[in-house]
Amino acid sequence: MELGFSPGLTSTEYSLKLLSEVSESFSKTSDLRDLAKAYSSIASRVRAERPTSAQAINLLRDLGIEIVKSIGERHGLSYVKNNVLGFIEKWRNRIQRELSEVSKIASRRISSGESVLTHSRSMCVVKAAEYLASEGKRPVFYVTESRPGMEGLVLSEELWRMGHRVKLIVDSAARFFMKDVDLVLLGAEAVAANGAVVSKVGSSLVTLAANEARVRVFILAPTSKLSIETLFGELVQLPEGDWRRLMSPEVLNTLPENYSARAPLYDVIPPDYIDGVVSEKGLFAPQAISYLIKEVHGGWPLKTISLESLEKELGKLAGGGFYGDTD
Amino acid sequence: MEIPIRVMQVADDIKAMRIRGAGKIARAAAEALKVAALEYRGPPDESSFMKYMAYVANLITSTRPTAVSLHNAVLYVVSKVRAVSGGVDEMKSTAINAAEKFIQESIEAVGRISEFGAKRIKNGAVVLTHCHSTAAVSTIINAYRMGRIDEVYSTETRPFFQGRITARQLLENGVPVIQIPDSAVRYVMNEVDHVVVGADTVASNGAVINKIGTSQVALAAHEARVRVFVTAETYKFSPMTAIGELVPIEMRGAEEVVPLDWIKSHPGIEVLNPSFDVTPPEYIDAIVTEVGVIPPQAAINVLVERLGWALEEFIQSEHGPVFDEV
Repeated sequence: MELGFSPGLTSTEYSLKLLSEVSESFSKTSDLRDLAKAYSSIASRVRAERPTSAQAINLLRDLGIEIVKSIGERHGLSYVKNNVLGFIEKWRNRIQRELSEVSKIASRRISSGESVLTHSRSMCVVKAAEYLASEGKRPVFYVTESRPGMEGLVLSEELWRMGHRVKLIVDSAARFFMKDVDLVLLGAEAVAANGAVVSKVGSSLVTLAANEARVRVFILAPTSKLSIETLFGELVQLPEGDWRRLMSPEVLNTLPENYSARAPLYDVIPPDYIDGVVSEKGLFAPQAISYLIKEVHGGWPLKTISLESLEKELGKLAGGGFYGDTD
Repeated sequence: MEIPIRVMQVADDIKAMRIRGAGKIARAAAEALKVAALEYRGPPDESSFMKYMAYVANLITSTRPTAVSLHNAVLYVVSKVRAVSGGVDEMKSTAINAAEKFIQESIEAVGRISEFGAKRIKNGAVVLTHCHSTAAVSTIINAYRMGRIDEVYSTETRPFFQGRITARQLLENGVPVIQIPDSAVRYVMNEVDHVVVGADTVASNGAVINKIGTSQVALAAHEARVRVFVTAETYKFSPMTAIGELVPIEMRGAEEVVPLDWIKSHPGIEVLNPSFDVTPPEYIDAIVTEVGVIPPQAAINVLVERLGWALEEFIQSEHGPVFDEV
């Protein structure tokens, strides 16, 4: 704690937790107005808490559209609830299926004896390592401690328990060891339309060092992490923390009174430093992401609706009286 | 051979890192040689005195075999003594004068560096610094007093958090400073105008050996076209590198990175802890020394003109900084 050890959830873990929260909160609702209200409050919380997670935004958008549609078709509460719970189950399965496909494809790029560097902790990287272990492949993993949060400590323990060789290093030592590395593997919060990737802060520095040393960089990101909004020019918001992410209050007390710290949580990897984005549909050049978005969401131009407007629409429904009252 | 107790104490303190920092150990070494000359009790002939001084020189340099400043301080004094043609008394006074001159110049060096360095900072600048360096901090404070600096980013600098020392010293001098984790260097680089860092060692090709992470900071600066200034006293230039020697990088213990109980409960995880890294000259815009601001590629000029005596010693002896005691 003194060192600031406070690992956060990976974006996949966050999405899975979110799905559980949604189904729990919906199952408690007694009318459609409640359900719409519950949706709006969860959506606005997620937008504030984890605006970087394209997967969480995407699943909430899909869910919102589903709710608006079934309400619009004048279905009753139990129908809507069942529909939504089924929908949540589908998303849960989708995330698991994507994870396993992505990790399989990524693992094909790695052989025994090679050195892989990774930063922070990604579920896709964890799954890929599991898959490698099950195939008897034994690469060496360089893991950065990854401040703030120090998720690297958690990841190195997981990799070690799988039987992999692990070398833990401080974030500053990534360039020092880059010459010994064959491949950089990173997870993602969001993949933007131009192929830029939002990931844990420090990722862009690691890829810069990899690029300088001509080490290949692969981003493990299923299509559920494609950020559709960015296709329309939206920027992904990057939240920051303060000293609390870096030390305990006891340590702060030893520092001058006017001490201040900024702890950015995410940064953006430019597409030029990415050799491939590994999705469940295969390995893509970052520049081909817009094509992938079209493939996944169908049609061109894309028809989409922002989470904010869905939230408002359902918020309005929650405010006024509507047909569901008699259900 | 009778070695004064105070000399033994200094050697001990350097070895145990009770005296640390490139400048402090260099001055302590010069002081020890001065004491050795003052308290010489051996036979009054030149060769006995020279043998005695060489013995003391070896004793001091062996405490930190890779510390360049220590070697340079010792070489500076010994080479001056060796050049004396007169008797023991003249050799003694030469050693004392040389040691005093070295100490004096070393103290003045930081003042001159901060004066030169501050002039290179643009008005309204945002400066980023890594780790803690007295020369870099002095330069920043000087530039701030000249009204040129708006804000400073200081990296925490894992594993030892020397950035907190930097933050404290800057805040005490009224300089607004924001601490960031080392991983956020590229994230903030677009807001930064200059990077100012210190140096542990400067190699003959202009490469700078400094705290782990410095090369990443310089790389990110280079990418963003942010100028990188290295502040370094001339006694940090390494004569050894001019004869092809590499600067050894110390790998330190895992317990500096993670707590001891974590290491014990995770025996399968290797924790690698290099203390320094090498910033290539391409990523450095200027090295600010007390004799002037130079491009890193001109490091050899400093070595030849400022440390020519040391260079000579290295070229003549095949084993580097071992002094002939015979």
